[in-house]
Amino acid sequence: MPDYPTDSINEMLVSDAASFSADPSEIEREVMSLFEQFRNPLLRYVLSFGVPVQDAEEVSQEVFISLFRHLQLQRSRENLRGWIFRVGHNLALKRRQANQKVRDTTSPDWTVAERQFDPSPDPEEQMSFKQRRTRLLAVLAVLPEEDQCCLRLRAEGLRYREIADVLGMSLGSVSISLTRSLARLMRADGG
Amino acid sequence: MQSDLLHPTDQELLLTADGELPSRRIAEVRAHLAACWECRTRMAEVEATIADFTRANRQQLDPQLTPIAGPRALLKARLAELAAAPAGGAWHRHLHLSFPVRMAVGVCAALIVAVIVGQFVFGYHLLPRTWNAAVSPERGVEPDRALTPGATRQVSVGTVCSMQHEEVVREVPTNLRQEVFQEYGIANARANDYEIDYLIAPGLGGTDDIRNLWPEPEGSKVWNSRVKDALEEQLHQMVCAGKIDLSTAQNDIATDWIAAYKKYFHTELPLAGRPDVLGLMEKSYSTLSQLVFVTGHGTRKSSFLAS
Repeated sequence: MPDYPTDSINEMLVSDAASFSADPSEIEREVMSLFEQFRNPLLRYVLSFGVPVQDAEEVSQEVFISLFRHLQLQRSRENLRGWIFRVGHNLALKRRQANQKVRDTTSPDWTVAERQFDPSPDPEEQMSFKQRRTRLLAVLAVLPEEDQCCLRLRAEGLRYREIADVLGMSLGSVSISLTRSLARLMRADGG
Repeated sequence: MQSDLLHPTDQELLLTADGELPSRRIAEVRAHLAACWECRTRMAEVEATIADFTRANRQQLDPQLTPIAGPRALLKARLAELAAAPAGGAWHRHLHLSFPVRMAVGVCAALIVAVIVGQFVFGYHLLPRTWNAAVSPERGVEPDRALTPGATRQVSVGTVCSMQHEEVVREVPTNLRQEVFQEYGIANARANDYEIDYLIAPGLGGTDDIRNLWPEPEGSKVWNSRVKDALEEQLHQMVCAGKIDLSTAQNDIATDWIAAYKKYFHTELPLAGRPDVLGLMEKSYSTLSQLVFVTGHGTRKSSFLAS
């Protein structure tokens, strides 16, 4: 199941600037804590743009260093998770363009994906899910990029408001995009 | 209630599953689901597809994730340097380098001296092509000043410094791209060949005016758009820290951005564009590789040094 955010995370991420110190070592600890929480989700999201893993790592580092500067300059602390993904999104697009190596998202790296351990004990279930996964990822690959981003961000636990913020869309557009994509995924999934 | 009899749409089911509807409406939908097998089945399908998609997404991308320990150590080291430096004084960070970075910079400097001495003494042409490019920048990496003198808007330092990150580094609007290509007489340009870049970045008060835009070749090995981005960020930080005037930053970057980079980073080579140098060092200095590769997974040394 998707790891939906808890209220406690939201409370921590949407907070009043006045309640935080501008002490660099405090900010450093805070950024490291956010890194622990969001490094993997952010890395997955950046990788989904087809940038090489080394570049994705650099983007991730750049995002959290920018976050440190952002907090050090006592800028808005509202929706820091959205901020992290928004900066990551922009940097990933720039990196992809600079690399001139747009991964063909219609043919994901199955050789790696297939090696992934599937915890399901039942071989038949594994095979069945492999087929569903193939269908789902094939549908995902042909969705408009904005729809793909909405889905991937939602899968990383972002709320609609945060997704709207990252992608510069309205809340209604996020909802419509997710509903449209879900309908297509359900058709692919036999739903 | 009458509304309980109306089947919720798929959008409402998804919004309910995501907790994005007003709580009163969620309660109504849940009440409807309790009474309606058809909708409950549909809801189960929605939930199952979400679960399958999430699992598929993870299985597609998780194998590429590297262990967090290396990147954590790297970030911690970089943040410690930033925390030790005065707020906003980006250049000061370079004066408070950690031991591995000082070692890397030291060996790099020694290598540069050795190569230059080698050239003098033995006449060997040891420098990689990119080094020559650093001395004689490749064609097109600086704009034609007649076409792109730079253009700014009336803006205060306060406004510039309160800009969000995405405004500071924002992309050039698509509709202006073709206009810029036409102005520079570039026909049939492929999207990946050039980045249409601001000469004076929005974060320094630059505008979308065509006089402030030029096609920056993406293939440039040394003085490329990433290096210019680093300069823009550096100038932005220096302006906001009160180290230089906004007008000085605008003038320097518009006059000769490569010279400005050398001036403000105190270097003849881009700090973020040293792959050839470090590649050369890697072959000769395995211990340095061990020092620099503190992440253990191949995070690029250039950015490590650059910060």
